[in-house]
Amino acid sequence: MSQPEKLPVVIISCLVLQNMLERLLPANLAEQVSFLDYGLHRVPDKLTWTLQDAVDSVEKPSLVVLGYGLCGNGLDGLKAGKHTLLVPRADDCIAILLGSRQAYIREFESVPGTYYLSKGWLESGSHPLKEYNECVEKYGPEDAAWIMDQQYQHYERLALVTHSESDMDKYRPQAEEVAEYCEQWGMRYEEILGSDDYVRQLIEVATALDKAGDDFVVIPPGGEIRQEQFIR
Amino acid sequence: MSVMYEQLSTVVLKGNEVATPDLVQKALDEGMVPKEILDSGLIVGMNEVGARFKRGQMFVPEVLMSAKAMHAGMEVLRPHLVASGAKLIGKIVLGTVKGDLHDIGKNLVGMMCEGAGFEVINLGFNVEPEKFVKAIKEHQPDVVGMSALLTTTMRAMGYTIKAIEEAGLRDQVKIMVGGAPVDADFAERIGADGYGSNAVNGVEVAKQFVGTV
Repeated sequence: MSQPEKLPVVIISCLVLQNMLERLLPANLAEQVSFLDYGLHRVPDKLTWTLQDAVDSVEKPSLVVLGYGLCGNGLDGLKAGKHTLLVPRADDCIAILLGSRQAYIREFESVPGTYYLSKGWLESGSHPLKEYNECVEKYGPEDAAWIMDQQYQHYERLALVTHSESDMDKYRPQAEEVAEYCEQWGMRYEEILGSDDYVRQLIEVATALDKAGDDFVVIPPGGEIRQEQFIR
Repeated sequence: MSVMYEQLSTVVLKGNEVATPDLVQKALDEGMVPKEILDSGLIVGMNEVGARFKRGQMFVPEVLMSAKAMHAGMEVLRPHLVASGAKLIGKIVLGTVKGDLHDIGKNLVGMMCEGAGFEVINLGFNVEPEKFVKAIKEHQPDVVGMSALLTTTMRAMGYTIKAIEEAGLRDQVKIMVGGAPVDADFAERIGADGYGSNAVNGVEVAKQFVGTV
């Protein structure tokens, strides 16, 4: 796909990719970079509306780079309007954090029942231990324990994904605390050193759309993101 | 009467596992028809739970508490449903597809299908296509229901339908799919016969398949 005239680049991303993007983005590539709250995918419709508003509010016709995957269909139905959209062809941020679709498939096939923790998810407090504490407040310990069992009893592994040894050291104590809580379901704790390859490629493709290949979805102006574009 | 139905749906919506069975008992004591207690009370509440969940006004813990309340109500109601002559309307095999271990919604569909008069064979989670095939051969169900929570795993629904086709069993069952990432388009693309947008709707689809709606 060609990029007729050089469009201004605008980045709209989930906070979960903030660190990687801020570290890797060349200084003058993007005219505008904004990060949206963690966890919007929990209500996929809300993610769609929020992102649509963010895309629509970009004034000049631009290449809008989305730091998202399909995210539980949160991107399904997102309209490009006057912009061109570029998005990793990934189901969710796990493949992006691990560095590639292949890395994700490898992890998925080895242990399908994996709960992933990352710096972003830990910082935003999205993990089973936090959920349990919130449920205890609301429902008392007995019902809270039952609610957690219903959601997590079949999981086998808790995996902390970071992108450097120093981050691993930094987030390990918090992750281990979650791991200790999750032991009740026989979940084991593992650490995975992710890769920033996917984000690097995203940035590269943003400068030359013809390099998009199979790992990215590009939507021309007037087009719309559809679930089937991600299924392969 | 209608006040009682409203109360029944409200206690399910609020996830009140104590009040729900009590209220079901009270409704029975007042001579209300068991099937009406279910259809106009409990299920109306659960339907609203599904709608609010979709809109982000309710989250998984609240949905679970509603399911628990519904379950507690069903325990009281079930013997009366049977005694009042509600006959089995069909047989359904349910499972969460290969690679996916989320079974809250699927179990909810199972519980509600039982309430609607289905015999339910629940295969559990992470169910291989071959296991669905084997269950069809063994149980001869009218309906097969598949569930997945992730876009990553919903592809396995298509593989399962292929396996059922290859085993020469496709014509003897109606297949329905459901789960958060599934929509009508996807269901059609993979060759399913129907799609349930939430648990209550899933049961409606199953009932249509066996010709009781």
